[in-house]
Amino acid sequence: MKPSRLLLMLLCLALPVPGEAGSPAVMPAAHRGLLEQHCLRCHGEREPQGNFRMDDLPLEIADVRTAERWQKVLDALNAGEMPPQDEPQPAAGAKADFLEALATSMVKARKSLADQQGTIHMRRLNQREYKNTLLSLLGADVDVSQLPLDTDTGGFDTVGVNLFMSATQVEQYEAIAREALEEAFGLEVGSAFAAVQRFELEYTLPIVYRDYLNRLDEAARGARWVEAVQAAMARPENAAVVAELMAQAKNDERKVRRSWKRISGAPAPELFGFVSTENTADKANRAFSFKHGNAYAERYLAQPLLDSGLYLTYRTGFEFDTAAPYVRQPFAWPPGDYVVRVRAAVTGQAPRSRRFIEFGIRHNEGPVLSTHEVTGTLDQPCIIEIPVRLARRHADRNQNTLFIREKGSGDTFEQTQARFSEGLKRNGVGPELAIWLDWIELERKARTPDNTPPGMRALADLPLEDKLPAPKTEAVRQALVRFATEAFRGQRPSEGYVDGLIAVYEQSRAAGTKHATALKDVLAIVLASPMFLYHAEPAPGDARRELSGIELANRLSYFLWGSPPDQQLRDLAASGDLLDSTVLAAQTERMLDDPRARDFVTAFPSQWLSLARLDFFQFNKKLYPHFDNATKMAVRNEVFETVADLVRDNRSLRDLLAADSVVVNAQLAEYYGIPGVHGDAFRRVSLPPGSPRGGLLGMAAIHAMGSNGEHTSPVERGAWVLRKVLNDPPPPAPANVPALTRLANKVLTTRERVLAHQELPQCASCHRKIDPIGFAMENFDAVGLWRTEDSSEAKDEMGKPIPNGRKTWTIDPSGGFHGGPAFADFVGMRDVVATRSDDFARGFASALVEYGLGRPCGFSDEDLVAEILARTKSKNYPIREFIHALVASRAFHTK
Amino acid sequence: MTMLPSRRAFLRSSTALVALPTLTSLRGGTAVAAAAAATPPKRLVFLGFGWGVTEESWYPDIKTPGGDYVLPPGLAPLARHKREFSIVQNLWHKYSNEGHEGSTMWLTGANRYAQPGQNFHNSISADQVAATQFGNHTRFASIQLNGSESSGGSGHGPGLSLAWDVRGKPIGGFNTPVEAFHRMFSPDTTPLAQRQALLAEERSVLDTVLENARDLERRLGKTDNAKLQEYFEGIRDIEVRLAKEEKWLDVPRPKAPLAEPKPGLEGREEIRLMYDLLVAALQTDSTRVITYRQPVSTLLTSLDIRVFPHDMSHYHTTRAEKLDCSQKRDLAQSELLAGLLDRLKATQEADGSALFDHTTLVYGSNLRTGHELTNCPTLIAGRGAGIRLGENIVMPKNTPLNNCWLTLLKGSGVEVESHGDSTGVLEELYA
Repeated sequence: MKPSRLLLMLLCLALPVPGEAGSPAVMPAAHRGLLEQHCLRCHGEREPQGNFRMDDLPLEIADVRTAERWQKVLDALNAGEMPPQDEPQPAAGAKADFLEALATSMVKARKSLADQQGTIHMRRLNQREYKNTLLSLLGADVDVSQLPLDTDTGGFDTVGVNLFMSATQVEQYEAIAREALEEAFGLEVGSAFAAVQRFELEYTLPIVYRDYLNRLDEAARGARWVEAVQAAMARPENAAVVAELMAQAKNDERKVRRSWKRISGAPAPELFGFVSTENTADKANRAFSFKHGNAYAERYLAQPLLDSGLYLTYRTGFEFDTAAPYVRQPFAWPPGDYVVRVRAAVTGQAPRSRRFIEFGIRHNEGPVLSTHEVTGTLDQPCIIEIPVRLARRHADRNQNTLFIREKGSGDTFEQTQARFSEGLKRNGVGPELAIWLDWIELERKARTPDNTPPGMRALADLPLEDKLPAPKTEAVRQALVRFATEAFRGQRPSEGYVDGLIAVYEQSRAAGTKHATALKDVLAIVLASPMFLYHAEPAPGDARRELSGIELANRLSYFLWGSPPDQQLRDLAASGDLLDSTVLAAQTERMLDDPRARDFVTAFPSQWLSLARLDFFQFNKKLYPHFDNATKMAVRNEVFETVADLVRDNRSLRDLLAADSVVVNAQLAEYYGIPGVHGDAFRRVSLPPGSPRGGLLGMAAIHAMGSNGEHTSPVERGAWVLRKVLNDPPPPAPANVPALTRLANKVLTTRERVLAHQELPQCASCHRKIDPIGFAMENFDAVGLWRTEDSSEAKDEMGKPIPNGRKTWTIDPSGGFHGGPAFADFVGMRDVVATRSDDFARGFASALVEYGLGRPCGFSDEDLVAEILARTKSKNYPIREFIHALVASRAFHTK
Repeated sequence: MTMLPSRRAFLRSSTALVALPTLTSLRGGTAVAAAAAATPPKRLVFLGFGWGVTEESWYPDIKTPGGDYVLPPGLAPLARHKREFSIVQNLWHKYSNEGHEGSTMWLTGANRYAQPGQNFHNSISADQVAATQFGNHTRFASIQLNGSESSGGSGHGPGLSLAWDVRGKPIGGFNTPVEAFHRMFSPDTTPLAQRQALLAEERSVLDTVLENARDLERRLGKTDNAKLQEYFEGIRDIEVRLAKEEKWLDVPRPKAPLAEPKPGLEGREEIRLMYDLLVAALQTDSTRVITYRQPVSTLLTSLDIRVFPHDMSHYHTTRAEKLDCSQKRDLAQSELLAGLLDRLKATQEADGSALFDHTTLVYGSNLRTGHELTNCPTLIAGRGAGIRLGENIVMPKNTPLNNCWLTLLKGSGVEVESHGDSTGVLEELYA
């Protein structure tokens, strides 16, 4: 039989059988020529090579077995194993086209075979929801980082099939719940506590002064020692050894002095007061050369207002205690809501960019929690208010320092050093003193009884302290029923279960445990029980059914708030009103306006856009000293705040593709060079003409993710745009492709290096689509700032720079979409992308379906996605409309 | 205790992996002391690193199989052990095709797409196969150690450790040396009677949550019930652990053969400490099966290397500092391994032989380098499974890695006929 006839038969096989849904994964018939020419002679019906037949391989990939066979074809082509080397090879272009089609079909096949056909698996609370739920139920904000993160499964953290349970987790739930209860009881007992304490900062002046005098003294002693060693070195009998040491140290006298013991007559540094467990000569040498620090100190001591406050300094080169002043939570102040107030001023000595402070808990090691613009002047300081929640875990002495420092002055030593030496080089003294602080104030706020969280309200009858008289068991029982009903989101616990809880309580009491302690133990069991941990939507026999009111309330609430429904929603659910579409839409509006919707505008975009990559690597702080931790936080927040802004004003999703405004605060505006923005709150600001910002592709977070912390990666960026913006995800990087090595040690531009990818057809099949988009974004550096030039340095295999291996070039962003329009630069590329709003909206809708329903958005959801798009497109894709469309859909109401 | 029967009934009704007779035999309270048996027991250790190795300087020349091969530079620190380990070449998992996952399927070889209607599937890992048979004799059926790094840059892929249970669900482990130390060696000073009371209380707690699980179970359909079974399985694991604790109640925790580790160590020092703990765990017969998912990104940081690990694994195109970094990583890992082998050889069993003589240690990854999933790096040391040592063993191209796992399991005395997609044992490996 001739191959062509075989293929004809094969094509007939591929026709969908009437009455059965066809698989969406069909290898296009256009590629049959390549198979016919290069494969079937050996892999035909009779004695197929490697016992692998392709003549009967269906073009439609409708089952796992067929998928595995096609995977084998894909693997063999990618690895360059087939066709064998001594056989004629397909033309590069044809092979690339074939591979593109096959890889894409395989992605579709995998997706189609994994399709859950609308089944929503019962799932547990994910890490985020668990934390939020404890906060909502108990008012306790606990550390849940020991639980699995749930966001690294490749899907959203709401997708049930990916959320596992294990023995370790059950124990962790109980332990975390126990801690949360401890905190909640403490909050309840101390709810009325209110106090303010102010810490004046001028106390640092004597410390600074003493330190300064010490340093002067040390420098003088160091100088005397150096002089004595030099005198010894000059003696004729030491000439030989000095010559030897000088040669060894390459004429660095500092190093020579380390070997003072070999120089006859050189005195010990100890005699000059340098006592240390390290080499004492190092200490003396360091003191001797401490000149810049002195100038820095002298300038500090010459400043005004030292008797009423302090200036924030840089820790490096100047180790006085004013780099990160901190206050401690006073002993016996309970956990709860606090406000940190700072009276601050900018000095006017430093550039405007240095007018920000950052706040955190645990000086020296804690992360930056927030950044603030200082708008006051020395004549008229401002007061900055920073709300902070202090938990029980913060009461530890190592934890409870609340610090203020200049933005970016303390992330890492090398960053601080880079900034310090920049100032030193410029003015011979060190960076200017930018910010003055008068005092720091700490206030603990009382909680009003209306704000008692529902879980604690359920316990209102019970004494919450062991020192109070014990309650009657019946009262405990009733409280447990109320608490469990609240914890189980409206489902009443069974009698048998409550009996069990009471049995544990009594067993524990009988063993001598005090009542409040025993109660917390028992409540922790409730919070480790399945009805708390799982979003259960019972459906005996797996029959599809409508959700009940309360189930719908739960689904909606965890979708938009990541937390349990509040009383209003629960009441509407109980009365059945929530099932009315008008009521449901009104509730959706209310929930999106509620502060709790913050969960949606952070959790969803961060997973949808894969923002986790921002934390995969350390940014090189030497190359980018101004991309400090506070800035990294701000660029990430820009994404969230932009989505929050869209939701607040119900703006069009298209604003994420291109816009003439951005959502920034003073800090980010400073980073982007947008003038005239003040304050810490993000708000929409018009862009100056010609700005490349606006939309996702103008955001530094997106550029920074598309780097490795040091260099840009056009491939990462291009693939991201295809995946997230154009809804045309490239297949995963294929395994076992032969590596390209001929570029080693060559001096190449990024474009030349990346383009080499396209030499092999198995790489070109995807990279011809990916790379041009990435090249167009090359004007953004690894931290998202605009640039017109780039450079690279060739290195040898020891990692050492090759002589004359540096190359600098002007970035050429021009190019074109594969098989699509050409563009001249970044803005040109972005404007083409902006015309693809239908694709973008489709990708967004699919992501929303997956996140909201807790299952992958499969081919069986085509109708649902189409319905959402039909409803939103005519109104120009307003973002709330997507949410309403999903919430109103049948799928959202169906178990 | 009146609640015990129902809990036990539950245990029996389920497809409990752990044989119940063992639990029953514990009731007498006669702790089966870890009496020094005539022959020391067999142990299995798996050390996995994400991101693979530098292929041109880690593998011995494929053309010089046997004992007379030249030790490649990447293994140079292991020179003093050259007669006591073998490199096995050309092993792979035919179903693995994720170029960034060095560990997820390393000990399983599963096809992640095998289950229609799911986008991820895994199966039991080789260590757990051994643990089901060796685990009854020790305080810990198996120990899983993990490195401190975020999953993003690790090169390991999904999972909570190298271990996956019989249903293909991830098993968690100890994530820091401090945690591992305390779980294994912290002496429990609570009086015996009080500990018994605590155990009883813990059992009542489990009974209560099980009651709630059953309340829920009654109303669920089949798919949701399958999900809830994970919870039941978790409770059952705690049960088994409690039964173990009961069994070991009057056996004091072994005295730690090493000092309590300092918190906060990362990278090279952390791996060294985990290796010390691993030896200590075997030495005290706290467990006989250990996996360690080693950190790579923090190892690089501790070596003062700033190259992003993923980029390092793609050194092929530009080589330069990425290649340099990749080779430094190989050297650091080999040095650490050499130190571990020193200690396994130096640690004596009750009968005077060395721990090394009864242990089988595998060191490798599902990733060779870049996105390469063929010829997975595989180094085997120890005499526990009767493997030929001191050789460059070159298998036919694309030999199932699961055949190797099967060979080691059988060689260690585990009764098992196949593992994953294995097609048989590799007779070539046996001495």
